[in-house]
Formats: sequence, structure tokens, C-alpha cells
Amino acid sequence: MAPIKHTLFLVSGVSSFIIFYMGIVNYLSATDKSNGMILLIFSILVAAGTLLSTVYISRSITKPIEKLAHNMREFSKTNKLSKKNPIKTNVQEIFELNENFETMGEQVEQTIEVQNEYVEKLKEMDRKKLEFSSMVSHELKTPLVPILGYVQMLQNKDLLGGLNEKQMEAVDEIHASTVKLQRLVGDILTTQKLDLGKLDFTVEKISFAELFNSIIKEFTPITNEKNINLELQFEGDIEIQSDSDRINQVFSNLIKNAIDFVPKNSGKITIGATDSDKSLECFVQDNGVGISEINQKDIFKKFYQIDTSTSRKRSGSGLGLAICKGIIEGLGGKIWVESIEGKGTKFYFTIPKKIVRSTIKKDSN
Amino acid sequence: MSDKKGKQREEMQSLKILIIDDNEQITKMLTTFLELKEHKCTIANDGKEGLGLIKENEHDVVLLDLAMPEFDGYAVIKDLEENNLLRERKIIVFTASTITQEELDSLVQRGITSYILKPIDIDKLLSKIVETANS
Ligand SMILES: Nc1ncnc2c1ncn2[C@@H]1O[C@H](COP(=O)(O)OP(=O)(O)O)[C@@H](O)[C@H]1O
Ligand SMILES: [Mg+2]
Repeated sequence: MAPIKHTLFLVSGVSSFIIFYMGIVNYLSATDKSNGMILLIFSILVAAGTLLSTVYISRSITKPIEKLAHNMREFSKTNKLSKKNPIKTNVQEIFELNENFETMGEQVEQTIEVQNEYVEKLKEMDRKKLEFSSMVSHELKTPLVPILGYVQMLQNKDLLGGLNEKQMEAVDEIHASTVKLQRLVGDILTTQKLDLGKLDFTVEKISFAELFNSIIKEFTPITNEKNINLELQFEGDIEIQSDSDRINQVFSNLIKNAIDFVPKNSGKITIGATDSDKSLECFVQDNGVGISEINQKDIFKKFYQIDTSTSRKRSGSGLGLAICKGIIEGLGGKIWVESIEGKGTKFYFTIPKKIVRSTIKKDSN
Repeated sequence: MSDKKGKQREEMQSLKILIIDDNEQITKMLTTFLELKEHKCTIANDGKEGLGLIKENEHDVVLLDLAMPEFDGYAVIKDLEENNLLRERKIIVFTASTITQEELDSLVQRGITSYILKPIDIDKLLSKIVETANS
């Protein structure tokens, strides 16, 4: 690509040279030298005039075009029309070009302004939504305090006097449902926060050996009671920078699910992690009922539960896996499942050893 | 605390406990439970009254709710902080609010002794009260 002034100078240079050359040739071959001289001077004047007017034309075309190009570059950077560098021209085409550019610029400015207003409104709505669900969760948890308190007192025969067997069964049922309700309230708020990108992560140095220790300690009483073989496949230690409470929550949700789906008396759940360069690959495996291929796509969705006879007896909310996915993605990892129906299920997830700050969606204000 | 020493202390001691919470059903339930466990309870249903009682310093442990109308738990904490009393008293913050771990940590840093989130397991609450009284 060549600038327009090169073309102009080439054309005018060649034509002035031809005019000048013809003047010289004419002068040399002329018999009447004074006549030839006049023609020569005339050709020199025309050639010089051509060159000068080329300079003038080239400046009056290219200068404003260069300015316009500069203004356009500025505009694409700032999205604002700059008033610093006004374009003065008496070339009509350039004048029109500039006017069209400015009109377009003003329209873009207006559109952006409207868009920014919408973005602000949406942010405000997100804040209100979260405020609302925080309030709802507070209001729901408060009456749960005395309910749970009295139920626990009733369950202890030393406190409010012993109950008969049927009464105790009833109280146990109330307790189970209340605990479920309590969990649901917490899960809904967590999901809401995940949706709005407002779940906060605390990044600290964590030891996986310690993390697994506490998980195994937490679940062994439950798995022992149900005759489930809970096994850890992990040797040595790996230290990473991440959020241990949240990772613990993911393992807990997956193990709780596995406990519900393994066969009675021959259940087996294996958890573990392997080092893979920049991240850890963790897994929770069970020998339970498995998940069909069609359902594998949907189980990470909110409130999705597979309707089977086993699942109808369970107490979940359908939020467990959605929360796992939200947390893992928030930490910069991935979660997926491999399963064969009737054989068992293996959930995998990766956790970067260092959280990349930008992956944590946090409100900037 | 589930070790032997903790259990013994739990059974032997009779603690004076101040409960500051605007929800009367919660304070009633807690009083019922804690009195069955041989502890003595005083109730304040708002922050102002609670603050006065904390200043009198006649209790072993204070259970402090955060969300209360007008003079809330944060205002109580702020006042105690300004009077250099926050670290002198044994205060367990007791809340159902959506509070982040960071906020809880910062409250501990400022000088509250401990915290517990509602809804609670009353046995765990009792262990925490005993543990805090003996800290
Ligand atoms: N280990 C598993 N084996 C078989 N099915 C599972 C397993 N984990 C999850 N599922 C299926 O995925 C659904 C969604 O799980 P989840 O989101 O944790 O919700 P919830 O456990 O509350 O039902 C479950 O209802 C169940 O049908
Ligand atoms: Mg679940």
C-alpha cells in the first residue's frame, strides 16, 4: 500500500518532467533561439507550477485525512470523540467523511451510555437479590433454633423426661426433617451466591494429607455404621494454595451421595488425589448404582435428581452437585463424572495448585 | 469439648450466663436447656440492656446475637471496644446472619472470644460455653 501523496507526486513529477523535457528539446532544435527561450521558460514555469500545486493539493487532502485517522484511532481506544483535534478542510468529500464519522461517534457514545446504565441496573438487581436471599435465610434459620433445641432436649431422656418408643420415633423424624430443612436453607443461599459470583474464597496454604485426615475422621463413624469400606488412595503430602473449607465441602457432598447409593453391606468408597503438574486431580469413587449416560449430563444442574426407588428415599435437595461444580469452577478447576450403570460411579475434579485471582468472580465494589 | 476433663467441668460448674437476643423463643429455649444443666441465665432482649449488663460484669459468659433492631450486636461490640472491655469479657457471638468467615475472623481479632452459627446443636453450644468460661 502506498500513501496517496506518493501517487500524486509520481504523476505530477512525471508530467512536469515531460513538459520540462519538451521545452529543452524544443529549445535545442529551435532555429529561432529567442522563440525557443520563451517556450523553455514557459515549460519551466508550468512544470514548477504543477509541482507546487501538487504539494498544495496533497497537503489539503492528506493532512485532514491523517488527522481523521488519528481521531478514529483515539475513538476506538477511548470510545469518546476528542474535541482537541478539530478537522478543518475545504475538500467537500473529506468534510462529509468527517461529519459522518462524528455522527457515528456520537451514536456510539450514546449507545455505550445506555448500556452502562443497564449494567449498573443489573448490578443493583444482583445486590438486591442477594440481600433478599440473605434476609430470607436469616428469617428461616431463626425459628429453626428453638425447634432444633427443643427436639434435642426431647431426645435426651435426662432433660425433659423419657418418651415412649413411638414418641421417640416421632421426635427423631422431626429432627431429621429439621436438619434437612436447615441444610436446604444453607444450600439455597450458597447456590444463589455462586450464581451471582459472590461466594467468597479464602486462599491459604493447605496440606492435602491434613485435609484427607479430617475428611476420613468425619466420615468413618457413618461408614462404619453402614458397613461401608471407606478407603483413601493418597501417599505423602501435597501442599497447595486454595480454599480448604470449600474443597472439604466438595468431598463431603460427593461422599454423602456415594454413601446413599452403594449396596448394603458391600459398599465401597474410595477417595484420593494425584499430582498432575499445575493442578491436583481428585476423585471420589463408589461401587453404587451408577448413573446412566443420559443423566450424566444433567446431574450438575440445580435441583436435578434422578427419579429412582433409591433416590426417593433420600433426603437430598438436588443442589449438592451444582454447588460442587460452582466451587470447583470458582477455584479454577473442572469437575466431571464417569459411570457405568449398575457398576459404580467415579467423580473427578481438578484443583489448580495456585488460584488464579481472576478466576475468582468477586464483586469489584 | 468431649474429653473427660471437659465433661467433668461441664457437670460440676454452675455458670452465670448472659443471653442477649431479641428473639424471645430462642432465649426461652436456651434458658430452659441451660437451667436444666444447672446454669443460671440472665436475659436481655435488646442490645442496650445487654450492654449495661455486660458492663456490670456479673456473668461468666455472654451469648450475643448480632442482628437485633436498633442497637444491634455490632453496636454492643463497638461500645465495648471503645471502653477497652471487649477483651476483658468472655463473649460468644451467636448469629443466624449471612456472615463471611473473614468477618468472623475480624471479630475474633477485635477481641470477641468465640462464635457459633445458628441454628446450633445445643450440646455443642454447651461445650462451647463451658470451654469459653474456662478459657
Ligand atoms: N454417587 C452417585 N451414584 C449414583 N447417583 C448419584 C451419585 N451422586 C449423585 N447422583 C445422582 O445425582 C443427583 C444429584 O445429586 P446432588 O446434586 O448431590 O443432589 P442430591 O444428592 O441432593 O439429590 C442425585 O439425586 C442422584 O440421582
Ligand atoms: Mg447430594
